[in-house]
Amino acid sequence: MSEKNRAASSLFSGRRRDQLLEAQLSWIASLVLFFSTVYAVLKVDVLWIVFGIAAISVYVLPIVTIRDPFRALPWEMTILLSAPLLLHISAGARALSDRFAWWDDLTSIAFAFSLATIGFLLTVELQMYTSVRMNRPFAIFFVVMFTLGASGFWEVGEYVDDKVFGANFLNSNYDAMTILLWSLVGGVLMGLVYDLYLRVMPKKRLSNFGFIHLYEVPKWRKG
Amino acid sequence: MEERLKLASRAMQAGMLGIAVAGLLTANFTWMPAAVLSLFVSIVPSVVRRDLELVLPIELNFWIVLALFLHVIGGFSGFYDNVPGWDHLTHAMSASLVAALGFVVVLSVDKYVESISLPRPFLAFFIIMFTMAFGVIWELMEFSNDQLTGSRLQYDLDDTMVDMMFDAFGGIIVGIAGAHYLIHTTPEHFVASLKVEKTKEKISGLLEKRARSKGGK
Repeated sequence: MSEKNRAASSLFSGRRRDQLLEAQLSWIASLVLFFSTVYAVLKVDVLWIVFGIAAISVYVLPIVTIRDPFRALPWEMTILLSAPLLLHISAGARALSDRFAWWDDLTSIAFAFSLATIGFLLTVELQMYTSVRMNRPFAIFFVVMFTLGASGFWEVGEYVDDKVFGANFLNSNYDAMTILLWSLVGGVLMGLVYDLYLRVMPKKRLSNFGFIHLYEVPKWRKG
Repeated sequence: MEERLKLASRAMQAGMLGIAVAGLLTANFTWMPAAVLSLFVSIVPSVVRRDLELVLPIELNFWIVLALFLHVIGGFSGFYDNVPGWDHLTHAMSASLVAALGFVVVLSVDKYVESISLPRPFLAFFIIMFTMAFGVIWELMEFSNDQLTGSRLQYDLDDTMVDMMFDAFGGIIVGIAGAHYLIHTTPEHFVASLKVEKTKEKISGLLEKRARSKGGK
């Protein structure tokens, strides 16, 4: 017991208060993501299982490979990742969707934001673990294309789910196109945001995460 | 083979010109702009070849003309309405075309931009995503056109979704085929066969010339 405590204190010692708070926020958001995915698994909601596993993977990979829970993704990114899944499974969201016309637009935007976040994390993590190298313009372009492409595949997936398994995702062409329109808006917007994100983030905070600025490193080997 | 493809391309271009003229003669203007525009687009590779010395593979050239031709003749002859699946055929064609052009561009970027390196599996993944994204943008254009002008480019949900499936299909085929193709040849080799090097020189030469003439004034 005392051994465990010492290990814990060495892990937490030397962390600043704000760092601790940020990490805690991120962990909580990731737990939301995790349990929402478990819920989706229990409900055999195939599409959302895929989404949840993909989101969890990009979240967990840096923590596992660096072996430091404080290298968790920034909490705002984690919240963006988990928001659409939480909105999808909660009964309250369904009731709000019935009541307000704009609610579905909101969830579509949340979905686009999370896709763009996954795309952005892909640009970062591909450079960590593979020989892929990008520069800033290409990375931003990739984020936008990934958001659009993934939402396209998503719509096709929902459609197949409707036809084959009798799910009820898409009611009309208009609905499907609105979702895609929001993914275009959200993708472009988040592309711009992530372009600015690294530039405006304070140096101190950026160094906490350590791994997020990889394509900003001027000297690296090609191939 | 090459000669035949070239001949077929010319024949289809003549067909598009014919459709434009026929549209004018019969006052059937609906598809005339599309025919004229497609004809111009189909000439672009030749112009690029003459002025920039960028040589696209002859098969790709043929594919460009074929996709445009099927689109124009389908609209003019009413195949879009009468032939089942015509819409999906042209979608798969244009999607594979977009994927192929994306492939060429991304490979050139990979070779010439120092800070970018794109291994083969990623290249395939990117091409697939890029093509799907383009398909989505296309559907959105049709959708907004319908909303704004009251046209009926999109029939219903089924039609749109099958369109997008064919987009995905075209992208996946070209993405995988492209990655496979690069097993046998290197990106350097492929890009060299396009003569991008010369194009680059030519463009930088033009830019310099422009800068100099501006400086002179």
